[in-house]
Amino acid sequence: MKPAYEKPVIKKLHNGLMNKFGYSPAYARKVRTDIDGVPVADLVEKFGSPLFVYSERILRQKYRQMHTAFSTRYPNVVFGWSYKTNYLNAICALMHQQGSIAEVVSGMEYEKARALGVPGENIIFNGPHKAQAALETAVREGAMINVDHLDEIYALERVAQKLGRQLHVGLRLNLDAGVYPQWSRFGFNLESGQALEAAKRMKYGGKLVLSGLHCHLGTFIMDAGAYARQVEKMVAFGCELEKAFGYSIEYLDIGGGFPSKSRLKGVYLPPEVALPAIDEYAEAIAQALTKALRPGDFPKLILESGRALVDEAGFLITTITATKRLPDGTRAYVADAGVNLLFTANWFKFNIEMDREVGGVNEQSVIYGPLCMNIDVVDESVLLPPLSCGMRLTVSPVGAYNHTQSLQFIEYRPASVLIGERGEVDLIREAEDLADITRRERMPKRFAQEEVG
Amino acid sequence: MKAHLKAFFCSYADVFFLPAVSLGVIIFTLTLVYPAMALAGIIAVAAAYGFARLVRMEKQFLESGYYTYNPLLVGLSLGYLFQFSALTAFFIACAGVMTFLVTVFLSNVFLTYLRLPILSLPFVVVSSVAYLASARYSDLAVRLHADTAILTTDFGMPFWLSGFFKAFGAVLFMPSVVVGVVLSVVVLRHSRVQFLLALLGYYTGAAIRALMVGSAALAFADLNNFNFIFIAMAVGGVFLIPSRTSYLLALIAVAVSTMLMDAATGFWYYYGIPVFTLPFNVVTLGMLYVLALMRHPMVVTSMGRTPEETLEIHLANRLRYPGQERTLFLPFAGKWTVWQGFDGQWTHKGSWRYAYDFVITDEQGKMHGGEGVRLDDYYCFNKPALSPVRGRVAQIVDDLPDSPIGGADAANNWGNVVIIEDPRGFFVELSHFAEKTVRVKKGEWVERGTVLGLCGNSGYSPQPHIHVQIQSAEAIGAASLPFSFVSYAEGGEFHSNNLPQEQHKVEPLYRDKRLDNITNFVLDDELHYHVLRDGKEAGDLKLKVKMASDGSFYFESPRGQLYFGKHEGTFYFYRVTGEDKWLRLLFLALPRMPLAYREKLTWHDYVPAGLVISGLRGAVVGFLSSLCPRLATVKVTQTFVSESRIATLVAVGVLHQRRCASVELDRQKGFAAVTVDDVTLRRVSHEP
Repeated sequence: MKPAYEKPVIKKLHNGLMNKFGYSPAYARKVRTDIDGVPVADLVEKFGSPLFVYSERILRQKYRQMHTAFSTRYPNVVFGWSYKTNYLNAICALMHQQGSIAEVVSGMEYEKARALGVPGENIIFNGPHKAQAALETAVREGAMINVDHLDEIYALERVAQKLGRQLHVGLRLNLDAGVYPQWSRFGFNLESGQALEAAKRMKYGGKLVLSGLHCHLGTFIMDAGAYARQVEKMVAFGCELEKAFGYSIEYLDIGGGFPSKSRLKGVYLPPEVALPAIDEYAEAIAQALTKALRPGDFPKLILESGRALVDEAGFLITTITATKRLPDGTRAYVADAGVNLLFTANWFKFNIEMDREVGGVNEQSVIYGPLCMNIDVVDESVLLPPLSCGMRLTVSPVGAYNHTQSLQFIEYRPASVLIGERGEVDLIREAEDLADITRRERMPKRFAQEEVG
Repeated sequence: MKAHLKAFFCSYADVFFLPAVSLGVIIFTLTLVYPAMALAGIIAVAAAYGFARLVRMEKQFLESGYYTYNPLLVGLSLGYLFQFSALTAFFIACAGVMTFLVTVFLSNVFLTYLRLPILSLPFVVVSSVAYLASARYSDLAVRLHADTAILTTDFGMPFWLSGFFKAFGAVLFMPSVVVGVVLSVVVLRHSRVQFLLALLGYYTGAAIRALMVGSAALAFADLNNFNFIFIAMAVGGVFLIPSRTSYLLALIAVAVSTMLMDAATGFWYYYGIPVFTLPFNVVTLGMLYVLALMRHPMVVTSMGRTPEETLEIHLANRLRYPGQERTLFLPFAGKWTVWQGFDGQWTHKGSWRYAYDFVITDEQGKMHGGEGVRLDDYYCFNKPALSPVRGRVAQIVDDLPDSPIGGADAANNWGNVVIIEDPRGFFVELSHFAEKTVRVKKGEWVERGTVLGLCGNSGYSPQPHIHVQIQSAEAIGAASLPFSFVSYAEGGEFHSNNLPQEQHKVEPLYRDKRLDNITNFVLDDELHYHVLRDGKEAGDLKLKVKMASDGSFYFESPRGQLYFGKHEGTFYFYRVTGEDKWLRLLFLALPRMPLAYREKLTWHDYVPAGLVISGLRGAVVGFLSSLCPRLATVKVTQTFVSESRIATLVAVGVLHQRRCASVELDRQKGFAAVTVDDVTLRRVSHEP
């Protein structure tokens, strides 16, 4: 095929200069022709582009790895699958199959988990907004509820009054574990005594029994020591509660926030070097726990890891639909997936792989998404050889938060597939069409008549 | 007074090894046929009891059957011989006191030095003494036996049949067919095993003697034949668990006793006294002593009211409680794989045969990631090793280097070790810790689950693993002792106390606080249930937590007791006594429960067959199960449906009977609802 004409530009080449990682940035290539043995071309041909692809192999491997890391260091560990990270039914079902219970943060997520057949008892209900009706349903069905604020205590007391029995609940804490920024907007502050006041309030109310503590430090925590400090404070507070009010703290829910091997913008070192291994987190947490707890006392340790489990199992295949040269000479591409599908592009620099070897020298390039919006940038500076229209790029890791936060803004949301451990490909969510956009819309009669006419 | 009467009547039933007051009343009524004899029995027992009060032993007197039935037999034997008069009464009272003294003396000597019961030995001694002495007391008039016709008639029975009934009656000094028939019916009603043993004993002994003596009529009519009946009952059904073995041993004991009986008879008759129960005592005690010395598995440790019940308890308990008394938690957290067990193929041999090795494997069964050439390729390397017991650290070594993969330090076989002294009287040794990772100090107290150090590859270890054993001495490398593991899951199945198999994945289950709190029943706690049958009100059950004198706890209802307890990670209902069917239902629905939750965790238990099979069928199964134990196996399979719901399946294998039950745990404490078939016990809600 005759190559398309392109206006010539002058580009300075850094010849022969090696960087310290031992490769020349001018010729480095990242090529991915398949995901778990299934060719990228086949996937797109069958399911279209863009396409979310999840690997069952990686999901299960990550789960086992992380579960082993914690359960071999502490004898009473339960994982709660963080629905908001990715609540595609198939992904949740897989996590439940592995032994995870559900962690939800809204009435919608709660209903989703119940619809998936998760019994109420196996649902942790967190979050700052729990509507009274949702709360009541959750209580009736035996869900584990972690209280976020004083008004929720009142709401729960109303439910207890209505049901005529005491309720067992957990208390969400926020505390200083040396992490910045401190997520102080969720739960009750420990250091200021707010949490103790809340516990006291529950005790005097007589309707709620405090049986667990919950605390989620933040997200993408890169310091294992932060968890050790968190756990230490939680155990100490638990002991205080047991002594002062006679509560029995049956579980410690330490939240999630463990990073995936994904590259934060502005971090020089690659994630493999910059991030502690999951075993280091497990070791720090287990050591802090066993040191702080009474010997032989093993309250249930709940982890709500989402990102660390699913992020690396998710890929997004996108297609180059246009190539451009910007006025400053920068090469630019328009892909069919942008921030509408890649919400986390705001913070992370993705791993972008081409579907084939391409000749030529790498250039700093920009990848734009399909939105008619200036902010729609997938990567503002990526080294790529000259690409042509129709080439596929595989963007990863994108398993966490991207699907759940994807937008319907001016585009349809694409299909999602799951590649099984034996290479089988299952469609787990169909691509949307107009019906999905308009299904809930209602036309006032006076316009509808005109339309008919 | 009630206790006194109960003890008195029980002593009659005790003679037949059947402790039941009602039975005692019937037998007592029988003895009233000879009022003088009955009175003599009462006098002897009363005299013994009076003396016991004088020496402040009345409590023991009432508690143990030995103190009552021996004087009773002595009284009956003297009442049988002498006409009643004031002098006779005095004589009998003296004999009663003497029986008490002999009983105290003999029972102490026997229990302390021989660990044997004394049976009716005091009766033999005192009655012999009394008979010998009476030969000189001319003022004691010998009774003239003017029996009514009904007591002497044989109803035209052949000698071999009338002989049996007479021998039975002779036990109570009433060698009469009528008495014998009544007694046999009473015994048969209570225990088929006991009755059949009586038949077996009588006919075996009599037949042997018939051959020896040469006269069947004489041999079968001998009143001393009741000894054979007793020997067969005691050996075959009371002190040994009814089984083919016990029946065979009973036959052998009877055969042996014929010789003894004839020898004793000849000797004793020389002095004009009967042999009483001497052959029975000598043969039974001799047999028991040998069997107990050999720790024979069929020797009864937990006696029921009847042989059938003993068997039922034994069968359920044998299956219920496998494992040892020396117990360990698994020495790690999470799922590990058994690499080598007892009598392993590599190193668990000879004196060190009782040991376990554990590693971590992945889904493919591999013990390492990567190429497996470096120590940290191995999944278990540097994973914590937890203390399997509570005790004091007796010794540690932690300065030996980790051997490279495939290498082994033959000079320091045990590598880095921690030895813990368990207060139960043994030492626990864990080996092959990684260099400088032991986190406990000598003399430190550790609890179950305390991190001792990290799994490594020091010592004679080709690849990282945890080695654990129990030993009798503190020294490194001391000989190992058998033990078992408590509270663990093996392939989705919970075991309270058992030994996992090689290559199986196991995970220790530490007590979960929620389930622990729910089962934390405190004295005087009350649980109130409505009983519903098919949704309709069918009764009411009020339970209260009580403590027995041995320190065990039970739920008390007005009609029974249900014993429970928590032991090493398991909540148990141990046994139910009394006649409360709702308590029995509760026992059946939840014989045990792990104190840790895992999704879909399953466990098995076995309950006494009497909980599900009753009536005539129960009687038949009870007897047949002594020949074929499988018959009485009632297997209960339970599964956690969720953290608060348990599904129960009760299967009586041979009868193809199945029953479904479910238990719903209360979030606060106890059981919210228990359903067995169409019956539901629903907790009456308690106010916050």
